[in-house]
Amino acid sequence: MLHDFEFRAPKTRAELLQVLADHGGLAKLMAGGTDVIVNLRAGAIKPRVVVDVKQVEGYGALAWSDAEGLVIRPATTINDLLRLPGLRERFPLLHACAHDLASYQIRNRATVIGNIVNASPCADMAPALLCLDARAVIASQAGEHEVPMREFITGVKRTVLLPGEVLDRVVVPAASAGARGGYAKLKRINGHDLGLVAVAVHKHDGELRVAVGSAAPTPVMVAGLGENDDAASVVAAARAVISPISDLRCTKEYREHMVGVYIRRLLREVA
Amino acid sequence: MMRITVTVNGQVYEREAPGHRTLLHFLRQDLGLTGAKEGCGAGECGACTVLLDGQAVNACLVLAPEVDGRRVDTVEGQAVDGKLSTIQDAFNRNHAVQCGFCTAGMLMSTQDLLSRQPKPRDDDIKEAIEGNFCRCTGYLQIIEAVRDASGRTDGKGGLKHA
Repeated sequence: MLHDFEFRAPKTRAELLQVLADHGGLAKLMAGGTDVIVNLRAGAIKPRVVVDVKQVEGYGALAWSDAEGLVIRPATTINDLLRLPGLRERFPLLHACAHDLASYQIRNRATVIGNIVNASPCADMAPALLCLDARAVIASQAGEHEVPMREFITGVKRTVLLPGEVLDRVVVPAASAGARGGYAKLKRINGHDLGLVAVAVHKHDGELRVAVGSAAPTPVMVAGLGENDDAASVVAAARAVISPISDLRCTKEYREHMVGVYIRRLLREVA
Repeated sequence: MMRITVTVNGQVYEREAPGHRTLLHFLRQDLGLTGAKEGCGAGECGACTVLLDGQAVNACLVLAPEVDGRRVDTVEGQAVDGKLSTIQDAFNRNHAVQCGFCTAGMLMSTQDLLSRQPKPRDDDIKEAIEGNFCRCTGYLQIIEAVRDASGRTDGKGGLKHA
């Protein structure tokens, strides 16, 4: 049983922003519901109003253009993204991360933007969006402003979003298209599982980037590496920015070790 | 409360539903359709898998008001006039049912898969049922049944992995 709350499904962005302005911190935005409903059921959140963003006009759009890049809106599910023609060719890393997220049923509901706003350290979409230099466009009644994806997630389940604000779209710049990339995720089973640790490697225009999930309070990126840096120095640079913990799923030593294993493996794969 | 109109297995239902009612509880308790099961209630096990506008989803992670004006298909819609569907028949012939708790979800994930890919490869089958846990661990028979339902085997069924 879920606690009693009001359900709202605004049809326009103006209506959505009004509902958020009216209820402030007592409103909880919901897209696919795959995290929100789990948290409601566990009693971890007790919003007065749950605001479904999926019916907002334009929020289901997913479009690629050479000028703007890839624009992802709040109702775009992981499977919508995977079905976008040309995704794997333009953004192999984004495709790999999306494909590794949960199960088929979950991917039919979970959204790209919800995965980012939920801000889990193991968010599968974060490593790709960090490496690809994505931008987050935040909207409220005061207007729109933009923050780099690298600044959007601020801690475990924490983001820069304030009450009254919505992550209106994520823009993956066209300049990132064509980058080589790969994703490796350590799980306890071959089926769907949260990552024990995950590594993304991205190579583009002479630059190498590595992002690591589940090894720090937020997904983290190692920037400024050279395309020809040797594996040992890339692993050392990654180890300098992660701070894994031991928990019920594995030890911090195992996480740190596997970050190195995956970096070496992915560097060979995307060479 | 919200008045919702939803088409389930081709039949139109109009009901009052509070915002906090999940689609799973709506189906089971309000409509009496108990085929979809509540295993974990958190999107892990897939026992509650139904099709929402033709796509497999976990009914425990959908709120009832979200389905207003939409189409839901449950396992009750597979057999017609007491005759098993091709998928159900293949599960039956290939011993793909043990305790049965995961079966309704497996059947619905298979229906979604075969509507997208009538001739799935084994990797496609594994991906389609990745979100359906069988704690009897009868996965090989289930995969065999999906192959059979897609016409990839001789159709004789039987136990191939005993």
